[in-house]
Amino acid sequence: MVLEVKNIKKSFQGNIVLSDISFGLDSGEVMAVVGPSGAGKTTLLRCINALETSDGGSIKVDDKYLYREEKGKMIYADKKEMKDIRKKLGMVFQNFNLFPHKTVLENIIESPVNVYGVSKEEAIAEAGKLLQMLELTEKAEAYPHQMSGGQRQRAAIARACALRPSIMCFDEPTSALDPELTEGIAAIIEKLAGQGMSILVITHDMGFAKRIADRIIFMEGGQIVHSGTKDEFFEGSDNERVKRFIQS
Amino acid sequence: MNKKINRILITFTMIITILAAFTGCSAKEPAAANTKSTGFAKLQEQGYVVVGLDDTFVPMGFRDAKGEIVGFDVDLAKEVFKRTGLEVKFQPIDWSMKESELNSGNIDMIWNGYTITAERKEKVAFSEPYIASRQVIVTLADSAINAKADLAGKTVATQSASSSLDAINTEPGLAASFEGGEPVLFATNNEALMDMEAGRTDAVVADEIMIRYYITERGQEKYKILDEDFGADEYGIGIRKEDTELLEKVNKTLDEMKADGSSAAISEKWFGENIIK
Amino acid sequence: MLSYILNLLPSMLEGLKMTISVFILTLALSLPFGILIALGRLSGNKLISSIFQLYIWVMRGTPLMLQLVFIFFGLPVVGITFDRFDSALLAFVLNYGAYMGEIFRAGIQSIEKGQYEAAKVLGFGPTKAFIRIILPQVIKRVIPPITNEVISLVKDTSLVYIVGLGELLRAGKIASNRDASLVPLAVAAGFYLILTALMTEGFKRYEKKYAYFE
Repeated sequence: MVLEVKNIKKSFQGNIVLSDISFGLDSGEVMAVVGPSGAGKTTLLRCINALETSDGGSIKVDDKYLYREEKGKMIYADKKEMKDIRKKLGMVFQNFNLFPHKTVLENIIESPVNVYGVSKEEAIAEAGKLLQMLELTEKAEAYPHQMSGGQRQRAAIARACALRPSIMCFDEPTSALDPELTEGIAAIIEKLAGQGMSILVITHDMGFAKRIADRIIFMEGGQIVHSGTKDEFFEGSDNERVKRFIQS
Repeated sequence: MNKKINRILITFTMIITILAAFTGCSAKEPAAANTKSTGFAKLQEQGYVVVGLDDTFVPMGFRDAKGEIVGFDVDLAKEVFKRTGLEVKFQPIDWSMKESELNSGNIDMIWNGYTITAERKEKVAFSEPYIASRQVIVTLADSAINAKADLAGKTVATQSASSSLDAINTEPGLAASFEGGEPVLFATNNEALMDMEAGRTDAVVADEIMIRYYITERGQEKYKILDEDFGADEYGIGIRKEDTELLEKVNKTLDEMKADGSSAAISEKWFGENIIK
Repeated sequence: MLSYILNLLPSMLEGLKMTISVFILTLALSLPFGILIALGRLSGNKLISSIFQLYIWVMRGTPLMLQLVFIFFGLPVVGITFDRFDSALLAFVLNYGAYMGEIFRAGIQSIEKGQYEAAKVLGFGPTKAFIRIILPQVIKRVIPPITNEVISLVKDTSLVYIVGLGELLRAGKIASNRDASLVPLAVAAGFYLILTALMTEGFKRYEKKYAYFE
């Protein structure tokens, strides 16, 4: 298991956003987290990426704890461990958050060169491969504002892939795209999974989830109400709400 | 977020400190450093005295076109300290800050057409008077103002923080009778005269020696000086009250210079006549 | 007339030198100091934040001239003495740092949260993220308001006469008094206009340099 989420809890000013979420992600597995807006999907993803603290539970990436609960206290990874964990986690934001003052290439090599001490030549060579895979080679010297939404998304994916993470997270990858581009991103996810990466995708698009996922988790009100492999998920739900959501 | 920003803060504090240290080294030394000296012995030890002057006071102490500080008082001071065996440094100051400059030790004396008044005597020690002048009323040549009494209801201008202002204020109720209930204050006499020429000011009260320079420069025919004045005044050199030995030395040297005619020569150079008292 | 102006130049240039020294050193120091103030003001620590808020209030809420007088004449009373130039520079940097600080604060706050988060997930520590990712974007956004402050600063340098420093306007006033003429003041005005034109042009170029991204 590359990612192990156990009993995660989170509330904002008394509002419970996540209550007792547990699941695991296997190597090379594509998992989709679906559910209506406000279900806590994004918060879950933010907790996994340590953009949000948790009130309880633990998250383990490979063999390292991002945080765990011990005697009622949350213990977080120290600076060095955190850096290692971040290297294993890739994140593609809903609105990409590319650095506007850097070209696509600079966006990609920024972290390897300036955080992880990869040599510039090596980072550029690696970036070249990623750009080729994502069909962005001719945009290497372009700035984010000079590109279309789809190109920007691929640039963001390339940036997140730069350190070859073992887990790649996508937050609503289809929301900012024209419907005809959905297939393209699905193909990219497939390709990444084929290379052995584990993928965690947050989406409200059931069709997209069905297209890409090996396993699906349905969240509502901060809880996992239904989960299973794709086949189990679409056939075996006795939950009315899940049924309605699946059909919608 | 908290910890993050604090860490950035620390980093930047360090950068700033380094920058500040760097520029601190390169900032040039001022011509006259703070002396804080008391006692003549200390002055002799450092080898110089600092004379504070407003470098806009023509012809007592000002800058010529080359930017050199020159003037009647400047020549006088140079001669006095040549005889005393000390170097003189002239430090331009803002005139409204002169007593603060003296008492904080930034300068050792005020020597710049500095009129002796009762009010100033409370703050500084004065040398023996070396020039006698008077506070005069100047109007445009065609003005209907011919006496002090005519100033009632008129706009009267003078220099701020000057002995002329003190002179006006020693006459009870006079300033209150002016248009606006008080005199209009300008940084320099020249500005007061310009304001009068522009028709906004009816009369200027000023020290005669100072104002005569401008009247000559701007055209004598344009102005008249009334017979009635605000009384005589005398120039002295302002020295910290505790610097008694310096005061004595200055007084003694001025006496010598008067006796051997060297002050008279300096006066001739600047005023074309001997006005040394 | 021309020969009169030429005659004025040496003393005016002497004043100009002081004006430019105060200007350049203030600019060079108040910009980084302003960033520091902005960070202090934005600190999550309530105490630090309120201290900086108080500082900004005092510096922007009292006249610069008063601050000059206070630093030069007031501080020696409690035993802290700076010479004239250092006092003037200190007052200017403290004052302009507060203004620059508020500009940088607005600039920093205008950067989307997503930029910090993107840097964070890529492994950047706070300082590195600020310097490499946030600051370049902030600088682009603050150039126009800083240009305004810089032009104010060029003109505010005339206040240093209060601590007895001879700057450009002072040189103009001296000559104006000496010669009973307004020409020296017009010459001073000309110098100020040249300085502000140079600054405006310089910052315009800087702005263009940053135009490559949006």
